[in-house]
Parts: sequence; C-alpha cells; structure tokens
Amino acid sequence: MDSIRLDATLTVHPRVSIRPEPFGALLYHFGTRQLSFLKDRVLLDAVRACDGTRTLAQALAEAAVPDAQVERYRRAVATLVHSTMLESRPANEVAA
Amino acid sequence: MSHADNRPEAPIDELVDEESLVEEVSIDGMCGVY
Repeated sequence: MDSIRLDATLTVHPRVSIRPEPFGALLYHFGTRQLSFLKDRVLLDAVRACDGTRTLAQALAEAAVPDAQVERYRRAVATLVHSTMLESRPANEVAA
Repeated sequence: MSHADNRPEAPIDELVDEESLVEEVSIDGMCGVY
C-alpha cells in the first residue's frame, strides 16, 4: 500500500464520485461499492489535483501540503490507490 | 536511568498527526444497518 511514489501521475477513477463534506470529503466508487472518508480538506484538494497532468508531489504542493506532512499525505493517497479510488495513469493517456 | 528517560519526547502535534487521513467502508458491509 505504501508503494506509490511521489513521481507517480494519478487520476481519480472515472467511476468515483467525490462529495465535499464539512469533515473533508466522501468518495464513492460505483464499481467496487466502496466508500472512502477523507478526514481533511487538504487531502481533498490533493485528490482533486490528481488530474493526470501532475505528479503526486506536484498535486500535494498544489494542495499546500507542508513539507513535513508530505509523507503522511503520500500514505493517505497510497490507501486511495490501493482501493482504486485513484489510479496511476500516464498523463499522455489522459490527454489522448 | 531507564530507557524511557533517553527517549526523545514527541510533540503532541506529531502524535495527533499520525491519525489516519482516510477511512474506508464497503457498502456491502453496511447491509442491515439503518
């Protein structure tokens, strides 16, 4: 689960719906029937920044994740990749 | 002197930060919960 690298390019799975909530956000995957609770708005911003054009490091920077917290957020993103809420995808696949 | 005396103290903020940012639930596992 911890294998996702900061230079990975990620995108939200097309069958995932994101609903912002006061506590952070709720993600629902229509394919796996899984719910993920994001307990932080910064993580929501980071997930939204994963649009297939940025590396994970760039997405975390876009969400203003402090340097000292990058590893913590990388692990959170790795959890979302493991549950296929996010998927690794080369940017050129998204642009095509 | 015990080992505990040599342990660096972790700031409270760091301990709180270790709380998970993501929790996952399966809808299938919620059947029968109303």
